[in-house]
Amino acid sequence: MNDSQWARYEVFEQERAGAPHRNAGSVHASDAEMALGNARDVFVRRPNCFSLWVVPEAAVFAKTAQEVARDDWYAAPAADAPRETYLVFSKKGQPARETFVEYVGEVQAATPAHALRVALETFPPQDVFVWWVAPERRVLKSEQADAASMFAPARAKKYRMHTFYPVEPIMRELKSAQGMLDNSEKTTDND
Amino acid sequence: MTETEQLQAFEARIARGEKIEPGDWMPDAYRQQLIRMISQHAHSEIIGMLPEGVWLQRAPTLRRKLVLLAKVQDEGGHGQYLYHAAETLGVTRAEMIDALLAGRAKYSSVFNYPTLTWADIGMIGWLVDGAAIQNQTMLAHCSYGPYARAMVRICAEETFHKKQGMEQIIRYTRGTPRQKQMAQDALNRWWWPSLMMFGPHDATSPNSAQLIRWGIKTKTNDELRQDFVNKMVSDFHAVGLTIPDPDLYYDASSGNWISGEINWDEFWRVVKGDGPCNAERLQARREAQENGAWVREALAAYAAARGEG
Repeated sequence: MNDSQWARYEVFEQERAGAPHRNAGSVHASDAEMALGNARDVFVRRPNCFSLWVVPEAAVFAKTAQEVARDDWYAAPAADAPRETYLVFSKKGQPARETFVEYVGEVQAATPAHALRVALETFPPQDVFVWWVAPERRVLKSEQADAASMFAPARAKKYRMHTFYPVEPIMRELKSAQGMLDNSEKTTDND
Repeated sequence: MTETEQLQAFEARIARGEKIEPGDWMPDAYRQQLIRMISQHAHSEIIGMLPEGVWLQRAPTLRRKLVLLAKVQDEGGHGQYLYHAAETLGVTRAEMIDALLAGRAKYSSVFNYPTLTWADIGMIGWLVDGAAIQNQTMLAHCSYGPYARAMVRICAEETFHKKQGMEQIIRYTRGTPRQKQMAQDALNRWWWPSLMMFGPHDATSPNSAQLIRWGIKTKTNDELRQDFVNKMVSDFHAVGLTIPDPDLYYDASSGNWISGEINWDEFWRVVKGDGPCNAERLQARREAQENGAWVREALAAYAAARGEG
């Protein structure tokens, strides 16, 4: 077995100020700081990131709606157990997009299972297929002071966007000149 | 619920268009098929960095170098998205990488061919990334959530890969006779390996029926290959290049371009490890793994000293 594994960190990206953080995938890293750097390299090669969060996978309590209904996952915490802030994420509906669960708010709870129980009572569960909760103290967030070095460079690299290469008009022109256009190609981009 | 009831509920969910997510019940064969497909796909992205990577230092202009660097970086990123998606099924990245380095894992055989001229870089973008997009656009509708999401992200980025390749080849076809010849030579060498990317014919593809039943794929290998051929023949004819297939003809009744037979002996030979560059590709990955060992050790020591990791 080689030694390239390390712990997994779940990565949440925020496209713009005010948008919810959404799970983009995960990275492996030897610590949270490196996880944030790896998350930048893996998920932010294009100009669509305002902030990143990373959370150790082991700190995420995840249940699908099927597991919530099926499994015996809840044990009530002691009445005097200290509460802390948990972040709550959910996947609502079946959106065809590149991200998974998104941030919906926070709850105060004593254990992960307790946090999920409170989340189920706090946030509308209709049409939710997946719930994640994680204690906020385990979340490392990118800082606004680092935004210029972390996210600005991708913004200048227009050549990473397919719109930088106007090949469709050239192809249409070539096909038109040779009488090769069919109807679908006359009106739409054929990529 | 009995196993049969669970299977029925699972198939009903897929029929409703629901994604299956990590933690949901799934048949073991579904899990195993996905691990096989996603890990091969991840390896293909990682190995796919190599044929283009050798041209980074020889790019003809700074602009072309920046573009190629961005493309190769994307492929490294795509490999990571896909290893992540496979990990949600219970396999570890270390296990997958071990299987690749030990020669037990498969990856797309197209990357076992050499890149001989700069025109190959443009042709790979247009043809090989074009074929990948054809396949991945379908997989973006896959019933397994993590794979579908990785595909949505990858397709958006690969559209850039394809278009930068088209831009280069279009320029060559409008350039000097020698440049046009370079583009034609590149097409001659990459056409057939690209058609092979879609895999064996449906009749000899053992996994297809089950993959389609469970919504992992929605089209067969031959259907995808036909869509690809139709699109590419029209595009290459438009730029004045010749498809290197003397048997190719247009079938007016179906509206399809029908290609000649793929050399399946070559296909299986390359898949089984005896292509022009198989040994070189694996050797490069093994060296990268060994040469990076000190970095991983240093990071682990740093994390340990700080009480993390």
